[in-house]
Amino acid sequence: MKINHFLLCFIILLVPHVSAFANEVLFYKEINLIGGYSDRDHWVGKSNDLTNSVGFEDFRKFSNDYGDFLTTDLQARLSYDSMQNSHNAWGIQIHNAWALFKINSSTKFRFGHFDPAFGLEPQLDTHATILQTLAMKDIGFKKDWGFGLEGSLSKFDYKSALQLGSGMGIRRKDDSFLATIRIGTPAPENSQFGVSLLYGRTLETEDMKTIPQDKLLSDNAILKKRIGLDGQYLFGPCLFKGEAAYGENDSKKVFGYLAELDYTIPKYQNWELELQFQSWINKLGESSSADSTLYLGSSYKLNQSTTFRAVYSHDLNMMGQKEEDKFLLQFYFFGA
Amino acid sequence: MMRKLFLGVLLILSFYSSLFAAVGCSLNDPDRDVKRIFPGSTGYRTTYVTIKELGGEPLKQEIEKKLGDKFDNIYESLDVPYAYYTILKGKDTIGYIHGVNQKGKYGALQIIITTDLEGKITEFYYQRISSTEAKSFQDKNFTNKFIGLRLKDFSEKASQISDPSKASPEDFRVTLRGIKKNLILLDEFLSHEKKGGK
Repeated sequence: MKINHFLLCFIILLVPHVSAFANEVLFYKEINLIGGYSDRDHWVGKSNDLTNSVGFEDFRKFSNDYGDFLTTDLQARLSYDSMQNSHNAWGIQIHNAWALFKINSSTKFRFGHFDPAFGLEPQLDTHATILQTLAMKDIGFKKDWGFGLEGSLSKFDYKSALQLGSGMGIRRKDDSFLATIRIGTPAPENSQFGVSLLYGRTLETEDMKTIPQDKLLSDNAILKKRIGLDGQYLFGPCLFKGEAAYGENDSKKVFGYLAELDYTIPKYQNWELELQFQSWINKLGESSSADSTLYLGSSYKLNQSTTFRAVYSHDLNMMGQKEEDKFLLQFYFFGA
Repeated sequence: MMRKLFLGVLLILSFYSSLFAAVGCSLNDPDRDVKRIFPGSTGYRTTYVTIKELGGEPLKQEIEKKLGDKFDNIYESLDVPYAYYTILKGKDTIGYIHGVNQKGKYGALQIIITTDLEGKITEFYYQRISSTEAKSFQDKNFTNKFIGLRLKDFSEKASQISDPSKASPEDFRVTLRGIKKNLILLDEFLSHEKKGGK
């Protein structure tokens, strides 16, 4: 707890002072309002990964006479989780908190809180979207504390990371760690494919908070091994996304996959329709261990900063629990 | 405690002066692009600017006049930040890279051009193109036809370039618009920089 309070004070004090040395600064405010109805939980004020929140992103580039040498990003939210009691409802989520040093044109060194180098998640910005990748079910979190190397080879991009295996909180327990690597085709292409490996001992938490630190479900880390494939393909108004991961949680074989189609309406290009199916099997061979969900969503961009989203989801079998239908509405502001 | 923090964050955000909305079109992988297009370069410097910051509505109208078309209220608003890259060899500038978003038939086209110090196009490519005939547009036989063109002779010389697609004339038309817009904006940004702006 004390480390986290220290970290928060450090960040609050650091941001205005660092700006004096940054050459380029982008600062965005963020407001996320979300709510809906579920036939299992009735009125809800959150999705699986999003809560009502206010926050900001502070993105900076540092350069000298010889060019850019450092990029930093700090993205944090103050969130309210309506499913928790009033004592635990409020929390600070630090999403991005990283510095990226350019070693040379092929290699960069990143440290802080950032995406593990596995699957589709590091290729997408799912910070504000209701539709998510497999990362939460697969790894247990979308970002983790640590360091990594990344860059571009002649025909491929690579990313690697060594992190604490703790997600939002800064802690190490039961020898937790997370090592990941992804090699993929270059980002600026209409089609993109990648293969990833993961090995680590990760901690499981009840929710997503940096301050106060999220509670652990267990003091024991889970040994995870994975191989993953991911891809994206843009054709006309259609963007196809997919990923699959196979491996082990301790001795249990696990498998998950996701397929998504995003369709931009040609006549109204600020309006997009999304269809996603994702499934995660926690123990291969046991039918009740599958967690599969179908999503049908729509997003409408009112202007550069404001987006409305509506998503209907049908949870086929939440690991043995009854099926669930849910409808969510979201107002999202990200801008000046 | 958390409620106080919540109010604190709101207060800080409301006072924080902010110039930018979401970035218009920046390079997904500038290191790779710079190394490929300018093999003799040793680095690059990124600059973010908005039309609002450089001249606001009067500048927008001036750009629209040069372009011969109105800006889109959503995708070409005054506060869209544009990123341009100054390519360096040692401390010396050897060229520029600039990208713009352009609304196409099915979605956004990300149009990137590189220029030499005289403003002559040295390369043009789509970072992303939502078109059913993307391959025809991305073909070097088409994109190389823009090499050597400058803002002052763009309209005249680009009119001699033919549509590479079979049935996507709209994407061809907006590609020409996007490249011209790109040249106009880069010219404005660099003029402002020479006058002592950032």
